[in-house]
Amino acid sequence: MYNTIAVEEMGKPAVAVTNQTYLVEGGSAASGKGMPGVRLVWDSIHSEEWVDERDSPERIEAGVAPLLDDIIAALTRPLTAEEKSPKKKEAEKTSRLIFQGDLEEVNHFFYRRGWADGLPVIPPTEEAVAEMLTGTDLPADHIVAKLGPRKGKATVEKIAINAVMAGALPTHLPVLIAGVQALAERATRFDNYQDSQGSWVPFWIINGPVRNDIHVNCGVGALSPGDIANAAIGRAMGLIIKNIGGIRKGIEDAGSFGNPGKYTMVLGENEEESPWEPFHVERGFKKEDSTLTVMFPNVFNWTIPWGTGAEGILNPIVNSVRGFGLFIIVVPPGTAKILSQEGFTKNKVKEYIAEHAASPPRFRQQSSEEPVRMPPKPNTDHTMVLVAGGPGGVYIASGAWLQWQEYVTKKLELPKAWDKVVAKYKNLAPVYAKY
Amino acid sequence: MSKNNQYEVLSPWAEADTVPLKGISPRLTSLEGKKIGLFQNFKQASKQMTATIEKKLKERYPGLKTSVFDSTDQNVTVIETDKKAEFEEWARGIDAAILLVGN
Repeated sequence: MYNTIAVEEMGKPAVAVTNQTYLVEGGSAASGKGMPGVRLVWDSIHSEEWVDERDSPERIEAGVAPLLDDIIAALTRPLTAEEKSPKKKEAEKTSRLIFQGDLEEVNHFFYRRGWADGLPVIPPTEEAVAEMLTGTDLPADHIVAKLGPRKGKATVEKIAINAVMAGALPTHLPVLIAGVQALAERATRFDNYQDSQGSWVPFWIINGPVRNDIHVNCGVGALSPGDIANAAIGRAMGLIIKNIGGIRKGIEDAGSFGNPGKYTMVLGENEEESPWEPFHVERGFKKEDSTLTVMFPNVFNWTIPWGTGAEGILNPIVNSVRGFGLFIIVVPPGTAKILSQEGFTKNKVKEYIAEHAASPPRFRQQSSEEPVRMPPKPNTDHTMVLVAGGPGGVYIASGAWLQWQEYVTKKLELPKAWDKVVAKYKNLAPVYAKY
Repeated sequence: MSKNNQYEVLSPWAEADTVPLKGISPRLTSLEGKKIGLFQNFKQASKQMTATIEKKLKERYPGLKTSVFDSTDQNVTVIETDKKAEFEEWARGIDAAILLVGN
């Protein structure tokens, strides 16, 4: 859509031909760029996975031929008055206080407005939001960033409101503010991840002392439900993406199947039990800094060593890694120690994977003249190795089949009274009954 | 505050500035004798669709010329990449464009 707008802005009439899946998302994209009249023609050809060079020309022609008249009309039919000069949209006016009701009524109101995520929300009252705002020294009306195709203003207060809804604690607010800052960086390609069929998941990785302050699970079951920090931080970011960024499932989020990781996917690196330097130190931060990193995988795999020793651990990883993109390889502490004892640093692990991973046959260049679609193999710059989880197996998150994307890491800014805020919630941890 | 189980709640929906709106470009009166740009978004269906549309258009308009822009990057706005100059030169040289999203 944005390429179509670029052509229009150069004074040339254009039409986008797209799968019907993208019709609504295309409309939002066009409006977001200030050109709501962009003409679209949608086709009924199945998604790319059904069509490739092995398909018969007749099949393609059968899908395309019916579109021809519409395509020609889109380029020749005279403009309507609205297409020539779209009427200025009035700024959305929403009241700050939006509703009053009991718990069920609040939840149904929010759900009907498309502001919830299918699970009950905590009502964001003035009092709850004021408490949430103790997690930062930034003023409530400070705009952290403008997000998404809406360019929604992510004020500290709006972040806090969505945080309350998600069940987050005030000690999570610095993480959420850093998350918004990260999403606003072009390098995440956040905008493109949402408009893809790929159902990419924002995977949040936390490093530094804050993990222990706010009980981020870095160990067994870190990605399973059960920890407020891991659950609420990811959930809050999902609500922020929706309610501030304006990216809604089936509308601006074109993910074909969706992904449960969009509820939450938050992991802390187990720096204390790792034989290697933490990820944020690799990225140039100090060990005592606390950081948040985001990337967008959509393929998740778990594998086990095929044998003892480093090669027994690394070869199944090599076998599981698809040819390109960004990768997060998560190894438990015991596995990391074995690798380290055999001389493997994080970089050597990455180099081993890059050297031994095969490129998928479909994406190998047929000839030297054919442009390289993407780097055919994983490279060390785009592979992250973390120590977390356990005790066994290796977890691999991959995807980011897009060029121009990088991991983005943001340092958390903590309020002056951080120790006091942490102390208030420090003892909030589950104690499981024994049986 | 919860008074008698009543909650007065704040809106999570962010404000956004209105975007200045622009109209689309004037249309052609006909495609005959024109040069039509065909943009492929590097998804695998787009090449086949482009070739078919090109063929069908030329059957209908024998005097039509075409120019294909093959985007070698997925899901990017080309003018935000190092191919910006190449894209703009392509767009300057055509009368209209058909952009295929090959998903």
